[in-house]
Amino acid sequence: MTFNPTRRQVLVGGASLATIVALGGVHPAFAGADRAKITVRVEKDLSNLDPANRSGPIDLNVIWSVQQGLISFKPGSTEWELDAAEELEQVSDTEIRFKLRSGLAFTGGYGDLTAEDVKFSFERFIKPDAEGKPVTYAKDWSSLDRVEVTAPLEGRIILKNPAPALYTIALADGSGRIVSKKAFEALGKDIATKLIGSGPYVLKEWTPREQFVLEINPDYKGPIKAHFHQIVGKPIGEQKTAEIAFKSGEIDFTAIDPENGKSLAALPDASITEIPAIDYVWFGPNIEKAPFDDIRVRQAIRYAVDIDAILQGAYSGLYPRADALLAPSLLGHWKDAPVHARDLEKAQALLAEAGHADGFKTKLTIEANARYEAIAQIIQANLAEVGIEVEIEALESAAYWALGENDASKDLELSLIKFNGKFDPGFQTQWFTSAQVGQWNWQRWKNADFDALHEKGGVTVDPAEREKIYIEAQKLLDESAAFIWITHNLNAFASRKWLKPGVLPNGNNWLYTAFTQATA
Amino acid sequence: MRSASLQIHLGFKLATAALAVAGSVVLLMALTRLIPGDPATVILGSRATPEAVAALNARIGLDKPLIEQVFSFFGKVASGDLGEDVFNGRPVLSLVLNALPNTAAVAVAAMLCAVALGVPLALFSARWPGGKTDRMVAFLSVGFISTPSFVVSVFLLMVFSVHLRWFPVLGAGESGDLGDQLWHLVLPTAALAAGWVGYIARLLRSSLLEILGENHVRTLRAYGVSETKILMKYALKPAILPTLAVLGMGFGELLGGAVFAEVIFNRPGLGSLIYDAIRTRNYPVVQGGVFVIVMLYVLTNLVADLSQSLIDPRERARLTSGRGH
Repeated sequence: MTFNPTRRQVLVGGASLATIVALGGVHPAFAGADRAKITVRVEKDLSNLDPANRSGPIDLNVIWSVQQGLISFKPGSTEWELDAAEELEQVSDTEIRFKLRSGLAFTGGYGDLTAEDVKFSFERFIKPDAEGKPVTYAKDWSSLDRVEVTAPLEGRIILKNPAPALYTIALADGSGRIVSKKAFEALGKDIATKLIGSGPYVLKEWTPREQFVLEINPDYKGPIKAHFHQIVGKPIGEQKTAEIAFKSGEIDFTAIDPENGKSLAALPDASITEIPAIDYVWFGPNIEKAPFDDIRVRQAIRYAVDIDAILQGAYSGLYPRADALLAPSLLGHWKDAPVHARDLEKAQALLAEAGHADGFKTKLTIEANARYEAIAQIIQANLAEVGIEVEIEALESAAYWALGENDASKDLELSLIKFNGKFDPGFQTQWFTSAQVGQWNWQRWKNADFDALHEKGGVTVDPAEREKIYIEAQKLLDESAAFIWITHNLNAFASRKWLKPGVLPNGNNWLYTAFTQATA
Repeated sequence: MRSASLQIHLGFKLATAALAVAGSVVLLMALTRLIPGDPATVILGSRATPEAVAALNARIGLDKPLIEQVFSFFGKVASGDLGEDVFNGRPVLSLVLNALPNTAAVAVAAMLCAVALGVPLALFSARWPGGKTDRMVAFLSVGFISTPSFVVSVFLLMVFSVHLRWFPVLGAGESGDLGDQLWHLVLPTAALAAGWVGYIARLLRSSLLEILGENHVRTLRAYGVSETKILMKYALKPAILPTLAVLGMGFGELLGGAVFAEVIFNRPGLGSLIYDAIRTRNYPVVQGGVFVIVMLYVLTNLVADLSQSLIDPRERARLTSGRGH
């Protein structure tokens, strides 16, 4: 028995296949835009929806849309606006009075939102949990002494010391969300997966690793309005998959690599948004280790490395250069920070002066990814020109961040680091204090004046005075030559032309309530 | 006597399988704890104080000695508990059971597809060895085998999802909607099956040519039996045995190795579950997921092994005559 298809059979077969495809039409995933619903890509799945133990911005963005705070961030801004609070007054440096709006209620039948809920939500940060352990974000409320309930909808937040950062670090942020005391007690550890709130959205569905669905809360009585009836979040870890899904029309919004912005912008219905970030990427030596304990060696390295070449080679010239710790949009940005230009002669002279005219061997530790490897290779090439032979050690993410434990950073030599920024400068300066040596201060730089400035900045209420303090602190970082700043990063997003995304200035945090239809 | 021999054979195979499962899990637990990084660092990130890290490690049992953790794991497994996700306390068993059908579906579909295409290609090649068809099949097979599956995946996505918009990019389809799930299955199946089509075609062709050169086939030809009948009736059955063994191994491998397809097509399967869990050092999920994969791998190999014994008359005779295992 042989199979010898005739020409007619081939034609009939082909026509049948074409008909099946035509009848099947386009898959529903590609159907025309439903403007009541948007599908956004998130980089990973939700993890823990308890605001005190959340695991990152993906969780926080959802928590923000479901739970209210006394205040919340304004769309696209680091400033805040009233949310559950009808009134909020800083009575003194250590006391904040609040009055809640009436009629706010939690979903799931957990009753009205009251000052008791506020007290419970904030004080759990300073008390051990059911297992006697502090909550993950306990530090956000370290200045809290207590919350006093003065009426069902009124109360006083009493601080141990002035805490100007409280508004952006805690009250408007995730640690300021108001959870239902009743729900918390009823749900127990399920509080990590079941989100009860009084905000504009409800978490209608969370199918792990597939999607979460936010839907407008029909009973919401607060001031912040949601614009889309439904927001679907799809966890897509792979950047390439996300871009293909955007091209195919399956998702309406995704963070992208800025380098791919041009090709995506060429799509007829795509819009690209770029937002300078407030992160800080730098590299530097462990100054406890010879020869980096000699400031001349550190200065030589700073002269030898070409930051502009790094920005061109590893960032395609798209990312802004950083010359100090704090990004331009933050209070305390040092706009007159010195721009250290490459000067090989000075570098060689300093090395000779320090007794290393023939250079030396060292190791640069990085988190393994293509961009950091490119940066490391440029640093390697730059330092080779002054005789410093660099071996690159690329560690997988979890192994790399484990260097923050058990004093593991003592064995580092050079390291390339990226930290995410927050809206208050004190959040950024805290990692460079002496107390952080052995944890996140991998340069192991200790400076009592810097520590004092960080402390002072944390309790100074006057913004102008704070700005001076943080600029002074950055001058000390610069003088140490232990921190060679590269960039504050750049966030880029692709969205449909009809969609205006609600991204906060750090790029990582999104207000789903601020996603709106774009006006022409 | 014959039945006793078969029982010994079966018992031996089961004991080996159990040892393989236990050994793999112990090795895995030891290895995961040797590599640097732990869930506490991932969860707590740059806010981690040593006290918070220690507290979290204590909560998830990582402060206990390894041997204690191993016994605790097997103790829980005995009662049907694979532990809890360290990030949110979800039972690992439910995570694995939710992911398993997505992986199994794509593995089964890819294997069926590979067999459905690979076997006819091998038959065509073996029927006219050295001819145009054979050379064409050889070219295609080597092409399929040597093209990395992720390249095939991206190519398929660009053509069928982005340009033609016939098939979706993301996920495994709406639960409860079989049509949608099948629609989502097409591209990952094609990407995974491509390499296997070539592999099966080459492997089976070689076996067929070997059988076709044997004396009994020459005798059949002398009796005037047609080449097609020889191929289909007398050569295919013995020739497919080595392929069957490879398929058994391959299916097991696909269960754990479909990770790239799951990552690229964003399918929430077992491979990507374990991949994500390794990146975040979510040990209970890694252990639970790998335990299930090892079980399935061992099971599919056992089935392939036993089915080979049943298909191959020589092996069957050896077992039933009581000549050991």
